[in-house]
Amino acid sequence: MTGAGEAVDLATRIQIQDLYSHEAELLDERRWEEWLDLFAPELEYTAPIRVTRKSPHPDTIDELGHFDDTKMSLALRVRRLRTDVAWAEDPPSLTRRLITNLRIRPGDDADRLQVRTNFLLYRSRGDLGAYDLIVGERQDALRREGDSWVIARRRSVIDQASMSTKNLGIFL
Amino acid sequence: MSRYDVQGRLELEDRLRKTVQPEQGRIPFFTYTDPGVHDLEIERIFGRDWQFLGHVSEVPNPGSFVTRRMGRENVIVGRGDDSVVRVFLNACRHRGMTLACEDFGEVNNWRCPYHGFTFGSKGDFLGTFMGAPFERVAYPEGLDRDALHLIEARCEIYQGLIFATWSKSGPSLDDHLGNVKWYLDLLVGKAEMEVVGHPERWMVPTGWRLPAENFTSDAYHTATAHSFLSRLNMVKGADFGREGYHVNVGNGHGLGVGVHFDEESYFPKELEDEYRANLDEDQFRMLSRIKNLHGNAFPNFTFLVPNFIEVEGRRVTGLMLRTWQPVAPNQTQVWSWHLVEKNAPEWWKKLGKRMYTQTFSSSGMFDQDDTEVWEAQTRMSDAALYREEEVFLHYGMGMDLPTLDKSEFPGPGDVYDGKFSEEAGRTFYRVWLDRLLEAKK
Repeated sequence: MTGAGEAVDLATRIQIQDLYSHEAELLDERRWEEWLDLFAPELEYTAPIRVTRKSPHPDTIDELGHFDDTKMSLALRVRRLRTDVAWAEDPPSLTRRLITNLRIRPGDDADRLQVRTNFLLYRSRGDLGAYDLIVGERQDALRREGDSWVIARRRSVIDQASMSTKNLGIFL
Repeated sequence: MSRYDVQGRLELEDRLRKTVQPEQGRIPFFTYTDPGVHDLEIERIFGRDWQFLGHVSEVPNPGSFVTRRMGRENVIVGRGDDSVVRVFLNACRHRGMTLACEDFGEVNNWRCPYHGFTFGSKGDFLGTFMGAPFERVAYPEGLDRDALHLIEARCEIYQGLIFATWSKSGPSLDDHLGNVKWYLDLLVGKAEMEVVGHPERWMVPTGWRLPAENFTSDAYHTATAHSFLSRLNMVKGADFGREGYHVNVGNGHGLGVGVHFDEESYFPKELEDEYRANLDEDQFRMLSRIKNLHGNAFPNFTFLVPNFIEVEGRRVTGLMLRTWQPVAPNQTQVWSWHLVEKNAPEWWKKLGKRMYTQTFSSSGMFDQDDTEVWEAQTRMSDAALYREEEVFLHYGMGMDLPTLDKSEFPGPGDVYDGKFSEEAGRTFYRVWLDRLLEAKK
C-alpha cells in the first residue's frame, strides 16, 4: 500500500484518530445530538447489502442497503430515539464500538480525505447474557472545516450476507 | 419431536385440536414456539404450500438464477435456456452436495464440486466433469440419466411473482391465491416492476408465524408500537391505523388498506397512464385512495405499501415484499425485497427507496420495534409449553362485525369498515390448524 502514511502529517493523523475515538464514545454513551454535529450537512450515510458470489464477482450491492440516510433523516431517527416510545432501543442496548486499522488516503482536493477504519460493534440486550457482534469497515469521506474535520460521507460495509442482529436500531 | 415418534405426534395433534379455537378468538400460547408444532409446519405447510421465491426481474436472461429458501430447504430458481423459469432442490442427485453456492449468477449448467456431476438449465443430467471416456470406466454399465434429473418443484408465476410448491397434486397457484390476486394487481400488476438490488436478509429470534400474522391482520398495534409517528407529528391524528378497511381475503390470506380523503392520488402522475392500462376501473380508483396497504398471503408471503410520508419535500412510499423463512422454532430469516415501477421518474425511485429503507429495512424505524416484540413473545411462550393449565391468547377483536357491500368497497373478500379487526387472523389460524392436522396429502 502506498501513500497511506504520507497522505497527512502525524499531527493530522492523531487528530483524525481522536475524532473516531470521540465518535465511538458519543455513540456508546448515546449522546446522539453531539454525534450528529460530527457530520457535514451534505452527508450521505449508507450501508450496502452483502451477497455470496463466486470470485471475482463483487460481493456488495449498493443499489439497496441497510441504511440510506441523510443528515436530516439521521436527525429524525435521533428525535425518535428521544421519545418514550422507541421500544427497540428503550431500554437501550449496551454497546461498545472498537474502531481500528485507520487508513488515510488523499481525497479529491487538499481539503478532503478518504478514511477507512474497521469496526467491531458489540451489542448486548436482555438478561440472558446474549450479545451480537456487528463487524465491518467504515469508508468515510472527511472534509476540512476550519481546524477540524467533518464526515461528509459514510459507507459502512457489514461483513455478513445475512445479518445476525435482529435490527439496526443502533448506528454504525 | 421426531416425525417417527408417532405417539408424541398423536398427543400433539390432539392438543392442537382441543385448544386452537380460531372462531372463538382463542389461540394457545404454546404454539408460538413448540418444537413439535414447528416440525409439523415444516412438513405440512412448507412441504406442501405455494411459497413466494422472487420476482421475474431477478432472473432476466436464459441462464440467470437465484438461490432461495422454501422452509428449511435451499432451492435454485433458474431461467432455462428455453426462457422458462424452473425451481430445483439445490442438491446434486449423486450425493446431495449443494450445486449452486452463490446467491445469484448466470451459468450454462450447474456442476457439482464434489464428483463433477453436471446438470443443464432444465435440470437434466448432462454427464460428469471428467468427460465420457472417464465416465465409461467408472460406470461401465452406464448412468441412468432420467433418474439423475434434479428434483423439481411445481413453479408458477403471477404478475411477475414466482411461486413454487413441492405438492404434486395440490391446487393451482391461481386457486391458492384466489381473491388476493385483485390486491396483488394493485401492488405489482399496476406497472412493470423491478427488484432494486437484492433482497436484504437478517435473522430475528422469533417463530415465522408472528410476523406473518402481524401483517395479515394486526393494524391495531401501529397506534402503540409505532406511536412515534404521531409523537413526532409525522401523521395526523392518533387513529391513523384505523382509517380504511380490513379484508379477510380467504384461504388464510389477509390484509388492511389505509385510505386518504384527498382528491388526488398519492402515486406519481407520471405513471398514471401505465396504471390505467394495467388495472380495471375499480382497481384504479382504489389505488388512487391508498395511503398504505399491509397484508400476507398464507403462509409467509408479506406485502406492504408503507404509509406515505414526506421525504425531502415529496410525499412518497415504497413497495416491500417479504418472506419469513422458518429456521428453528425461535429463529426466522427475514427476506425483504424493495420493488419499484421500472418507468418511474427518478425522484420516485430515489426517494421511495430511501423511504422504504428508513422505515422498513433492518434499520427501519417501524421494523425495529416489531422485532423487539416478536422476540419477547417467542421467548415468553416457552413458559407455556409445560404449564398444566393451557394459556390462551386473545384474538377476539372485531368478532361478528358486518361486512361491507360491494357498492361500498369494490375489492373481493369479506371487507370490514375500519382496520380494527382480527377476522383475517382468525381465518389464518383456521387454515393453519387444518393444514397441521392434515396428516396425508
